[in-house]
Amino acid sequence: MASFIVVKKEDLEKKQNVEPCHTLRCLTSELGCLTRQDGSVSLSQGDTTSLAVVYGPAEVRISRELIDRATVELVYKPKVGLPRPADRKREQIMKSIFEATIITNLHPRSSITIILQETEDLGSNLACCINAACLALLDAAVNMSFMVAAVAVSVADEGQIKLDPSKNDEEKGRASITFVFDSVDLNVVSIVTSGKFSQIEYKAGLELAREASQKVFQFFKDSMSRKLIR
Amino acid sequence: MRETPLSNCEKEFILKNISEQRRLDGRNSYDYRDLRIAFGVSLGCCHVELGKTRVLAQVSCEVGQPKQTRPHDGVLYVNVELSPMACPSFEAGRQTEEGVELSRLMERCLKESRCMDLESLCIVAGEKAWHIRIDIHVLNHEGNILDCSSIAAIAALAHFRRPDVTVQGQEITIHSMEDRNPVPLSIHHIPLLVSFAFFIQGKYMIVDPSEKEEKVMEGKMVIGMNKHREICTLQVTGEMLLLKEQVLRCSNIAVMKVTKITELIHTALANDKQARLRGEKHGFAELISGEKLSSNQQPPIEVKPAFNIYEEDDDSMSSMESDESSLGHKVQEVDIKRYL
Amino acid sequence: MADQYRIAQPKDYYRQFLEKDVRPDNRGLGEYRATVMNIGCVSTAEGSSLVKIGNTTVMCGIKAEVAEPGVDGKNGYLVPNVELSPLCSANFRPGPPGELAQVLSQNMADLIADSQCVKLENLCVCPGKLVWVLHIDLVCLDYDGNLMDACTLAMMSALKSTSLPVVTVDEESGEIKTDPSSRTLLPVSCCPVSTTLIVFDNKLLLVDPTSEEESLATGAVTVVTEGKNVCSIYKPGGTPLTDKQIRDCIERGFIRGKEARSLIEETLCSVDR
Repeated sequence: MASFIVVKKEDLEKKQNVEPCHTLRCLTSELGCLTRQDGSVSLSQGDTTSLAVVYGPAEVRISRELIDRATVELVYKPKVGLPRPADRKREQIMKSIFEATIITNLHPRSSITIILQETEDLGSNLACCINAACLALLDAAVNMSFMVAAVAVSVADEGQIKLDPSKNDEEKGRASITFVFDSVDLNVVSIVTSGKFSQIEYKAGLELAREASQKVFQFFKDSMSRKLIR
Repeated sequence: MRETPLSNCEKEFILKNISEQRRLDGRNSYDYRDLRIAFGVSLGCCHVELGKTRVLAQVSCEVGQPKQTRPHDGVLYVNVELSPMACPSFEAGRQTEEGVELSRLMERCLKESRCMDLESLCIVAGEKAWHIRIDIHVLNHEGNILDCSSIAAIAALAHFRRPDVTVQGQEITIHSMEDRNPVPLSIHHIPLLVSFAFFIQGKYMIVDPSEKEEKVMEGKMVIGMNKHREICTLQVTGEMLLLKEQVLRCSNIAVMKVTKITELIHTALANDKQARLRGEKHGFAELISGEKLSSNQQPPIEVKPAFNIYEEDDDSMSSMESDESSLGHKVQEVDIKRYL
Repeated sequence: MADQYRIAQPKDYYRQFLEKDVRPDNRGLGEYRATVMNIGCVSTAEGSSLVKIGNTTVMCGIKAEVAEPGVDGKNGYLVPNVELSPLCSANFRPGPPGELAQVLSQNMADLIADSQCVKLENLCVCPGKLVWVLHIDLVCLDYDGNLMDACTLAMMSALKSTSLPVVTVDEESGEIKTDPSSRTLLPVSCCPVSTTLIVFDNKLLLVDPTSEEESLATGAVTVVTEGKNVCSIYKPGGTPLTDKQIRDCIERGFIRGKEARSLIEETLCSVDR
């Protein structure tokens, strides 16, 4: 039996009363929250929070050295217990996203390590992790060809699309989809889905998530400029 | 990645300062750094900051078999994670000497001090019992991870609630959160670890060493104690000999520190309880204050899709068929052979 | 000469072919390799199949055992496991499963959970006491790209041919009795089929990649379809794709889904009679 963490319902964030379906939850970030790393960020989306740190470009283990580009390593640490196969899948997804965004050819024979710690999973955890990792890379000033923003949507039983779902929405819904967009053309970098859905629902979710991703990019820019300009 | 060693001048500078009763961060010898305790939204999740050192502890539970040697007791697991997250020289998945020492001390502090009533975790003797697991994640290593972890672990245990269980004959029901209020673990006392670092043949002693001071120190003494002045662990490591008076002096200091930290834990627990009762915001998102230069906040935004997303727009769907497929050319008939 | 060129400049070699809308193995860009299926090839297993897509060969065997259920008392267990031994390719080493094998196993488990093709309640023998555990072992015998599609096809055809012995539990003594002579088919409610495409040179989409094509790819998409619904779209990073390209992938997924399902049905029919 899987071990469980206990969350009381009344402790969860209050429901927004204005059309809750299309609301992107409150985003909060703190850049450089830790001291030993090259880049670190603590990001929260509503109640969901995660912590991302980046080391690099730094020395690489000989067995993983690539002669023409940097090795991207990604470690995801779940809050409870040891990493499971589901976490390995998550690692692989995020690793290939950041292999595409980081300009690895600039740093041959070196490593860029991203470490993610789940601190609170209350819905849209994968999206929160990807956004945190992107901000951490910005904080560490790693060269990227584009930024990425992840937005999750869930599909309720009646086909209603909910943006940035909470844990409750994810469990009740028929399907949930996480979209990752690039900052240049807002094209789709990554899609991860669970559950069954129709093509129309997919399309509706995509449009909504794309609109929301612009807000996330704006938030990235605000966060960086707050840190750099003042 | 390799650890960056401390240079000789840095070492000498720190030692010289200590011998003059000064410390790099301006503390007195017996001062702790600022302590901040915060709880997550989920129960049993505690985040402790001791200066810049950060530790996250999460308690979880599951139903399993009790140990054969102790059929009436629940089980408590302690897991300390020293990953490269905290410091580049730590490696993932490899137990270092430091890591073993740390988890052993934590086990002695939490398990062997009998601070928790394990008997109350038994559901059916010899068959089913609660297994309680504490995962301690070190997030940032700026010295004295040990004291920080012990505070986080015991505060998380005190904050945790497990689901209620009823046994009727053979039937075991685990009640959901809505069904019945979850029950707290029964904790008898709060043991805490206090570390002392010694320099120059044990002549100088400081409390709560920082990361640089840990690199210079000759030896370390760890005292595990609760606020009733009961010692549950005492460990001396390093190449030095201590006088009896020094051990006694340390234990006297430990009494003061433990009383103060216990009070802080109780206040933090009470504050969290109050905030939850009043339905105020709590959890880690509140840890980040919007006033810092490095932090930023974007309030909830309503996203308006560019057009009605629930309507299928026919143009794009029909145009696709006439368009040349991006697969190069039209999909060809696929040859399927079958052997049996 | 052509062989040396292929080894030294694989991308250029491919580009020259792809300009003419053809691949080096004489396939079109949207064309699958020949798919071969054999069901019931392992007689000791409860269900089995062997699937070849081109050179890629995957064998699937399903073994059943009974076990005590978890706390909820009525759900059985499905345990997919993908094995990539050094037998199938020089890229794999003996020992514990590598990252690819772990991710594939997880993908298989997610596929069953997403499509609900086998409902865990149906694996219950006696509520609260006994449930079925189905070990789905997928062994790759030859690795030439597109493992995901081969594994799903092998797993689904093996599940569809799985029959379980009738098990009764004596109410009083609690004794477990099996009747090996009568078997019941495992209820499989639907049949999800996956279609994998890779992105070449950040723009071209190639269906059913070989291992050589996979090593040159800048991204991959896997679409799993079931009837009229999409079960999963899995695009782990790589080149960003436009909406139209993804829509094409989904369309291609539906076509492949129909073909593969009819292949499974036909093969099943010819086995039974």
